[in-house]
Amino acid sequence: MPPDQPVGPDDAQLVTRSLNRDHEAFGQLIDRHASRIINLAYRMVGNRAEAEDLAQEAFLSAFKSLSTFRADSKFSTWLYRIATNKCKDWLRAKRPGMEQQDVDIDETLDIHVADEQTPERLLSQQQVAQELEQAIQRLPPLYREAFVMKHVEGMGYEEMEAILGVNSDTLKMRVYKGRLQLSRDLATLSPTQ
Amino acid sequence: MHEPELLIQRFLDHDLTPAERVVFLQAVDTDPALRRRWLNVEMVVAEAARLPRLAPSPRFLSELKATIAPPGPNWWERVWAAVTTPRTLEWNLAGAMAAACLVLSVVAGLLTVMPERVVEVPVAMAPVQTMSAGTTQETPRVFVRLVLLQPGARSVSVAGDFNGWNPADTPLERSDGGMWTATIPLKPGRYEYMFVVDGKQWIADPLATDAATDGFGAQNAVLDVDI
Repeated sequence: MPPDQPVGPDDAQLVTRSLNRDHEAFGQLIDRHASRIINLAYRMVGNRAEAEDLAQEAFLSAFKSLSTFRADSKFSTWLYRIATNKCKDWLRAKRPGMEQQDVDIDETLDIHVADEQTPERLLSQQQVAQELEQAIQRLPPLYREAFVMKHVEGMGYEEMEAILGVNSDTLKMRVYKGRLQLSRDLATLSPTQ
Repeated sequence: MHEPELLIQRFLDHDLTPAERVVFLQAVDTDPALRRRWLNVEMVVAEAARLPRLAPSPRFLSELKATIAPPGPNWWERVWAAVTTPRTLEWNLAGAMAAACLVLSVVAGLLTVMPERVVEVPVAMAPVQTMSAGTTQETPRVFVRLVLLQPGARSVSVAGDFNGWNPADTPLERSDGGMWTATIPLKPGRYEYMFVVDGKQWIADPLATDAATDGFGAQNAVLDVDI
C-alpha cells in the first residue's frame, strides 16, 4: 500500500454506514474532522469554549441532516460549510451592528494603526503568535474567514470556493486584504524593520 | 489596492507569470520599501501557518458522541431480552454426575427425615397418641392411635364400642419390628375395646391404663377420649 494511502474507510463509506444507523461510523467522522472544525471556529470567534460549542452544533447539524448530503461533493466541504455558517451566525448575533460585507481596508486601517502603534522591539515567538492571534480577531469577519482558511487551515482557493460558495477572485481579494491589514498591524513588531 | 501591493499578493499566491515574476523580483531587489512590505507579508503568512492548534477536549468528544448515540434499552426491554434470548447450555459428564448426586442426596435426606414424623412409636405412659381434628361443626373428633407389639402375628385388628365390636372393621397395620398400629377418629367419650390377633385371639391392650370386665370373665381395655 502507498505510504500516503489513508487506512480505513473513507468519508463517503462512513457516511453511507452512518445513514444505515451505524452511529460508530459517524463517531469516526467526528474523530477525523473535529480538530479542523474546532480550530476553524476558534480562529473565527477567538474563544475555545465557544469554538467547541459551535463545533458541536456543526456536527449535530450534520448528523441530523446527513440524509440531505449529496454524495457528489466531499463530506469535509459540506461539514466546513455548516461550521462557517454557524460561526458567522454567532458573530452576527454577538455584534449585530457589524455587517458581513467587504469593507475598504484602507479606511479602517489608518485609524486602527494610529491607535495601536508601539515602539519597535524584538519579541519572542510566543509573543508574535499571541499578537498575530489578536490581530486576526481584529480582522473583519469576511477577511478573517478567508485568511484563516487559506493560511491557518492551509486550504486552496478551489476548496474555499466550494465551502463558502464565493468565487475564487473574491476570495483572493479578501485574503489579500487580510494579509495587508495583518502585515501593517504587525509591522512594528517585525524583526525585519 | 496599489500595484506593488497587488504584485506582492499575487506573488504569494503563485499567480505571477514567469515574466511577471522576474519583474517583481527585480523590483524587490532595488526597492527597500517594497522589499520590507513583501517580507512583512511573508512573515505574517509564515507565522499564521505556525499558530498552535487546539486539540479537541475529551469533554467535547464524549459529549458529542453521547448525543448521537442511540438510546439504550429500558429495564423492561433488558429483562425481556434476557428471558427470551436463546442460550446454549454447556455441560460435562462430571458436572452432570455431581448434580445428579446432589439431587439424590436431597431426595434421600427427605425420605429419611419425613417417615420419622409418621412412624408410630409406642409411648408407655399413654397407650394412645391423639390429635384433635375439629372437622365437624358441633362434635370435634379426636384421632386416637392404637398400638400393639405382636411380632408373631399375621393380622391384628381392634374391636370395641366405636365399631360395633366388629374386628373386620378396623384392621391394624404392621410396621418394622412387629409393631401394629391404627389411627381411629373418635368423638370424646369412654370406649371399651380389645385387640384380635390372627382373627381368633382376643387380648386386652397391655398398655391401657384402665380396664373393665366384659361380663364373660375377661377384661376389656378402657379408653377415655378428651379434647
